[in-house]
Amino acid sequence: MMTDGDLLHTVTADNISNNRKRLGKLLVWSTALFGLALAAWQMAFETGRVSTGFDTWRPVLYAYMLWATALCAAQVIVNGEKGKRTLFVLPAALFVVSLVVFPLLFALYISFTDWNLASPNGPQPNGWSNVKEMWNDEFYWNALKNMVYYVLAVSVEYVIAFGLALLLNSQIRARKFFRVVFLLPLMLSPVAVSWMIGKSMLEVRFGPVSRLLRDIGVEPSFFGSPEIARFMIMAMDAWTFIPFMMIMLLAGLQALPSEVIEASKVDGATGWQSFKEVIFPLMLPVSVTAIVIRIIFKLKLADIIINVTSGGPGGATDSVTSFIFREYRDRSNVGYGTLLAMVYLILIIIFVTALLKLVSRWMERPA
Amino acid sequence: MKVQLYNYILAAQKMNRRQMLKTMAAAGAVTMMPKLATADGHSNIRAEILKIPGVGAGSPTDSDWQRVGELCLNATKENVAAGEFEGVELTFMGLNNQNLHNFLFRGFLKPWEAYTGAKINWIDLAQADYNARLQQSIATGTVDFDIIEMGAPFEGDVLGKGLASEMPDWVKKQIDMDDYVDYLKEPVGTWDGKTYRVSIDGDCHTFAYRKDYFGEGSVTGKEVPTTWQEINQISKDLVGKEDPLTGLPAHGYLDPLKGWGGFGFYFLENRAAAYAKHPNSPAWLFEPDTMKPMVNNPAWVQAIQDVMDLIEADAYPTDQINADPGTTAFQQFLAGTGSMLTWWGDVGSSARTSDTSVVGDVVGFGVNPASDRVYNAQSGAWEETRNEAPNMAYIGWGVYVMATVEGDEKKKKAAWSAAAHLGGKDLSLWASAYPSGFQPYRNSHFQFEEWEEAGYDRAYVEDYLGSNADSYNHPNAAIEPRIPGIFQYYSVAEDELAKGYAGKYASAQETADAIAAAWEKITDQIGRDEQIAVYKASLGLS
Repeated sequence: MMTDGDLLHTVTADNISNNRKRLGKLLVWSTALFGLALAAWQMAFETGRVSTGFDTWRPVLYAYMLWATALCAAQVIVNGEKGKRTLFVLPAALFVVSLVVFPLLFALYISFTDWNLASPNGPQPNGWSNVKEMWNDEFYWNALKNMVYYVLAVSVEYVIAFGLALLLNSQIRARKFFRVVFLLPLMLSPVAVSWMIGKSMLEVRFGPVSRLLRDIGVEPSFFGSPEIARFMIMAMDAWTFIPFMMIMLLAGLQALPSEVIEASKVDGATGWQSFKEVIFPLMLPVSVTAIVIRIIFKLKLADIIINVTSGGPGGATDSVTSFIFREYRDRSNVGYGTLLAMVYLILIIIFVTALLKLVSRWMERPA
Repeated sequence: MKVQLYNYILAAQKMNRRQMLKTMAAAGAVTMMPKLATADGHSNIRAEILKIPGVGAGSPTDSDWQRVGELCLNATKENVAAGEFEGVELTFMGLNNQNLHNFLFRGFLKPWEAYTGAKINWIDLAQADYNARLQQSIATGTVDFDIIEMGAPFEGDVLGKGLASEMPDWVKKQIDMDDYVDYLKEPVGTWDGKTYRVSIDGDCHTFAYRKDYFGEGSVTGKEVPTTWQEINQISKDLVGKEDPLTGLPAHGYLDPLKGWGGFGFYFLENRAAAYAKHPNSPAWLFEPDTMKPMVNNPAWVQAIQDVMDLIEADAYPTDQINADPGTTAFQQFLAGTGSMLTWWGDVGSSARTSDTSVVGDVVGFGVNPASDRVYNAQSGAWEETRNEAPNMAYIGWGVYVMATVEGDEKKKKAAWSAAAHLGGKDLSLWASAYPSGFQPYRNSHFQFEEWEEAGYDRAYVEDYLGSNADSYNHPNAAIEPRIPGIFQYYSVAEDELAKGYAGKYASAQETADAIAAAWEKITDQIGRDEQIAVYKASLGLS
């Protein structure tokens, strides 16, 4: 009978012999070694170092599953009742890790190959060629530069969203109606937005917006010059997602303690002073959360661009995702496309980590 | 027949109820005739199927497709005994476009299944998913279909890798391949001298123009241009003038300046073919011995320069830089912007039936324009001779049997019998006359009296199909190379062209060089030696 340790969750006594423990460890290590050996053998076969092997990597997958099963069984063999508790989580954890780790490793491998789906030879490692190509690919850097513009546009969206949230939080007529109306764009798919607005309303010849401009003497051109085209993409994206920021900020505003605001008014603060000194600081955590989530949305921007401009004119509206999309879908250039995606992933991780670190001090609501 | 073409002809000939009833009464009389009363049973079948459901009698339905399939079974019965394929299961992969492609195939093959005893399982794909699905199947070695509906440009990917089954001789005889229009004969559909393709479609670009822009007293005051030089001059001269139909600014030729998933490159090809496709060689995109791109030779640079000249002259409508081929055809040309265009058959057919079209009464057609001079890549010099080279863009759909059936003779014969049934001479006449997604592709499809007898207006049929027939049988038709990854080449070219048109490169030559460099990279990636071999095979040079 155990007299110390985790007594609360122990329902049976465990008296595990050393032999049993050794058996458990042996099971894990032997299946692990078997799996590794099989993987190494298959790798040698794939690279032509040995002449016999399997047609596919499926047997290695089976070996991995064998190891995973052994690992789960060993928990009970080695740790008894405590091991059974581990079993509630371990299979699921292994499953998730497998789905994340294997594809990531595969993607990492692919990104250092010249894999083109049309190639009869399949993926062939090509060292640092893809990295060098990326380094010299000014249109990838151009797409990254565009991402900076797109992300900066979030600040303008934030201001508009905050303004709308304040408006909808105040005592206006038909407030509930406007709250729903302002949310409508968010319910539309960006693909629908790009067709309805980008390809129909803004169509140069018969689009209603173009006709209106022509009627007042302006020759419309929405996607002809780089700056205007980029602005139009930003505007369409903003129109879709400002309601998202707005609804978050509105929720924040409604959760503000009314006593503090009332107190500021009692102290004689004007509307602007009350906003600047009380509401805005109190809203900082919500604001930062809304901005960070919106930036993450923005980093995925692709659908509107693909539909409306295909990245043009001359790459002026390309986002990294739309650029990679063309590399993948139209050119089946899987190796290079994957490398670009991996680099973008790393950049996003660094950027978002730094961003969260930077804004962490504003994330806490001031006492 | 492409759906829009069918609708167009109906609208154009304005068939009224009385005419339609007359046609149907005639059809009824024919079907009631005793068999002995007809001199030729074969031509009787052709006349009979053309009456199903009757031109102007509404869209054909599944029962019509099944009836046509049933009536066209004779060819199959000559080679296959009843119930011969009992127990055989085949998988067919094709497009799921509403009431076209697989929809028809299902109906056509139902009586075939009933007669032979085979069963067909279907993989239906949206057009946008088709390329990706096919490429992934090939790349990952998971070809899970026995019969595929496929465009000829993918032959390099499939035939070049030995994934298809060679056509048996009895099939060649059953489908009467000699009847194909010239450009669909060898080397199209063949690889290393072996035949693989049952053609079910033909494709080419033709020239469409606005009649009201040309002739005495018109806004141009000139005759319809027949060369690219004339087209460019007219386009420049039209700057500042007014469109006779809409009152908006007049424009000449409409080049799409934005990509379209690779398909946009066909439109630069239209211009370039006249300069670059010399009658002395079938090669005009790559040099056959080295796969060195020809896209930056003086002929292609001239084609790109022509477009850049028109951009410089401000001859295009506003925002043309964001216009893909869909825009130039359906939002510009048909809506009354611009006066000249090259496209597939359906732009003309939409002229009267599309709600946004305003040009139905003033549109005319012809073979793709020629050039006053042609570049001889072999001698490296321009020749001052007129050159016409219509672009057989996409070559058309075919039915192919995959190598998955090899090793099982019964299954193989069944698959080929199904393919031959779909590409049969009589059945294809019906498919070219009614909405099917396919254009005529056999010489026998151009017997206009058959169409007339079926209820079509002869003048319209001759006008539209005539320009196609002239292009198909042209001795200097420009045919694209059927090499692996051909759409990758087109796609990257579109991207580089879009950059060039947006002024990202200093000149047409620099733009062409960028395309050539990108093409070299793709060739190296796919494997140069393999590409040379398949390219030569696709040109029939090996």
